[in-house]
Amino acid sequence: MDQIWQMLGENSSFLLNGVLTTVGLTILGFGGALVIGTIVAVFRVSPITPLRVVGTAYVEFFRNVPLLTLLILIVFGLPDIGLLFPLFWCGVLGLVLAGSAFICETVRSGINTISVGQSEAARALGMSFGTQLRLIILPQAFRTMVQPLVNNFIGILIGSSLASAVGVSDITNVTQQLNIRYAEAVVLFLLSGAVYLVFALGAGGVGSWLERLVSRSRIGSAR
Amino acid sequence: MHTFSRRGLLYVAAGSSAAVALAACSSGAPPTPVGSGSASGPTNSNRQISQDAYDAVIKSGPVADASVVSASTWATKIKGQGYIKRGGTTTGAIFSLKDPTTGRISGFDAGIGDLLAHYITGGADVSKLTQVAQTSVDTRETMLQNNTVDIVVATYSITLPRAQKIAFAGPYYSSGDSIQVKADNTTIKSVTDLAGKKLVTESNSTAITAIGKYVPGNTPTLFADNDSCVAAVQQGRADAYVLDESILLGNAVKNPDLKVVGTPFTIDPYGVGVSKDDPAVKAFVNTFLQKIFDSGDWLKLWKATVGVYVEAAPSAPKIGSVPGS
Amino acid sequence: MAANTATRVLFDEPGPRGRTRILISTVVAVVLVVLLVSGAVWQFAVHGQLAAYKWQFFTYSAIVRALIVDGIGNTFLATGVAAVVAFPLGLVLALGRLSKQPALSRVSTAWIEFFRSMPMILVVYAFLLALPRFGLVLPVFWMLVVPMILVSSASTAEVFRAGIKAVDKGQWEAAQSLGMGPGLVLTHVVLPQAFRIVLPNLLTGLVSLLKDSTLGYVVSYGELMQQGKELVAYYHYMIQTYLVIALIYVLINWLLTRLASYLQVRMGTRRVAAAPVVVDLEPAQ
Repeated sequence: MDQIWQMLGENSSFLLNGVLTTVGLTILGFGGALVIGTIVAVFRVSPITPLRVVGTAYVEFFRNVPLLTLLILIVFGLPDIGLLFPLFWCGVLGLVLAGSAFICETVRSGINTISVGQSEAARALGMSFGTQLRLIILPQAFRTMVQPLVNNFIGILIGSSLASAVGVSDITNVTQQLNIRYAEAVVLFLLSGAVYLVFALGAGGVGSWLERLVSRSRIGSAR
Repeated sequence: MHTFSRRGLLYVAAGSSAAVALAACSSGAPPTPVGSGSASGPTNSNRQISQDAYDAVIKSGPVADASVVSASTWATKIKGQGYIKRGGTTTGAIFSLKDPTTGRISGFDAGIGDLLAHYITGGADVSKLTQVAQTSVDTRETMLQNNTVDIVVATYSITLPRAQKIAFAGPYYSSGDSIQVKADNTTIKSVTDLAGKKLVTESNSTAITAIGKYVPGNTPTLFADNDSCVAAVQQGRADAYVLDESILLGNAVKNPDLKVVGTPFTIDPYGVGVSKDDPAVKAFVNTFLQKIFDSGDWLKLWKATVGVYVEAAPSAPKIGSVPGS
Repeated sequence: MAANTATRVLFDEPGPRGRTRILISTVVAVVLVVLLVSGAVWQFAVHGQLAAYKWQFFTYSAIVRALIVDGIGNTFLATGVAAVVAFPLGLVLALGRLSKQPALSRVSTAWIEFFRSMPMILVVYAFLLALPRFGLVLPVFWMLVVPMILVSSASTAEVFRAGIKAVDKGQWEAAQSLGMGPGLVLTHVVLPQAFRIVLPNLLTGLVSLLKDSTLGYVVSYGELMQQGKELVAYYHYMIQTYLVIALIYVLINWLLTRLASYLQVRMGTRRVAAAPVVVDLEPAQ
């Protein structure tokens, strides 16, 4: 037992860094994926055919490529064509690319739930495309998107662990290193498992709370 | 958005030419491998382990008398099954590397396994002498203890904690961790210069422990295999790569932009791991090792594998000279 | 103009000026796309990555065999075996979670929530690095497949649970009023309908499993990624090898997703809001 405390003490900042790296990967990955995913969703439904094609190709590629393969390509492939990013940002990039393909589909189904009358009314009032999207469509679409977005978030959290296989020192990677050095498998794996469990359950909790919030503030039904 | 869609396209663009290449699937012998790493092309040194030379070494190795084999229940079992189950790897440069096109595994560790199998079975087809089961740093002892494999030959350092669980024959090779840097690096000359530097090593290696011991407070970046670590140094993701010296020397031969600095700062005597159940097994393998040391087959194997990349030939270590062996 | 709902929500039916604008935007977009594609190809070219020998490599029969026959074969084997165990296990867990027995329900819920939140790679490391210390070493195939089963059983359970709940309550009541026992109702009325509903989602689950099998790279089981690792270790064409592998995965998964959409349309069912397929960043459909 003393041995375990000693190990945890000696490596507290290493472990903390691992947790922070996981959190950073997840938050930056999710944030980036949300932005890119929304833009690609607009691409996919725009009347401009080339944008649709690009949007569809983007989604089909990044939704179907395994994240580990994508990360290896980013970390080891891109430098071969002159694009070298720090490892952490390679991880973020992989999560943004893969995550945005899924979030794009979430957003698209969300927009699909809005009745055409809503936007026709907005346009009749002379709202610009951006204003319409920001004030009328996305807020309403968001209601049906909360739960899928939480799932996207948890997916990105769990996906961030794959960055450990390409050298990013997230909590999974730290666990692996300390396990080789100290052979305290049980404690280490319980610890890192708990990190994911806490964040995933936490995200689920925040999601339910958000869902209650948006359903309470429901003024006129979207349909 | 700009960069992202651009990258998406980049995959698509490059992919279509790959698809064309696959579609035009022709047969014939695959090309010989060239130097590793990103920027290198076919102009690089083409030194590599020759499968034919390797096979010749194995076939010329000693074969035990039938009486020697029948005196050992372990060897009798192996002779009966016709091959040795060796715990090891398929991606270990110089020591145990698989040619994906032929499925053949060659290298110094592979050779020790093949020579031992040849010694016991006398089999003439080198490709059938051993079957390799993938092992990791954490699975080797257990796989020997529960007889999943007959032997482990996998740059397997002899240590006292391990020797409590399994038995080590040998050592058959003495190596140590060394440091690889870019050829133009002048700041790193020995292990003392590594403090505060960005280090890489293989995720399955004992170099992690060595770094923890000799460069306190440094946490290396871990990659799955030698090539990834080489790429990390070449691409500037890391200042230095710590691993077994022979592998690093091999990398330096294949990649002129890399070099090895200093002498090994750890001593890693490699042993052949066998089960502790029957003490006679260790003695049997030791007899075999002494035989190939004396007959010169050990040196021939070294020349056909490590010696392709490293100039100075070593002398064979003394059996049982290391605590735990 | 036959556009889908989302398009009509976001964009007005174009008038003459609108049509001109769309035409101009289309031309601009095409030019941009062409520029980006050629920029990417240029980037490959200037770094010597388009050299013919680096791509011709993939036309040699031995390399094709290593990737397609061995690699994809083992990927399918691992995915198939994992699915055959994980999907029925998922159904059992879903029924467990929905069960009225508190103990059974709690155990199933705990299992599902735990493995839904666990990254597969962490489970793999547990089997690769931790359990051997306690004397448990699985063959590499099972070191990959058992974690696949554990993780997939949890997400599949949620798919089944959503499917069962999507079957109209009236079905239960009607069947019970005919004198059928709960077991009979489940097996003869509810589950057949639930299966129809979840079939597309199960295919998505299969895609997830196939992606998870890439962790063979970590345990050194000879699926597609591990074959790639071995090819790179021997031939060193990193970006080319992994690009080809990425495209193979995209193609296989794309076909599976197409099949899911086809089934969905054919059966005339909307995909129910199922739980996330973990690791896969999969949203509820």
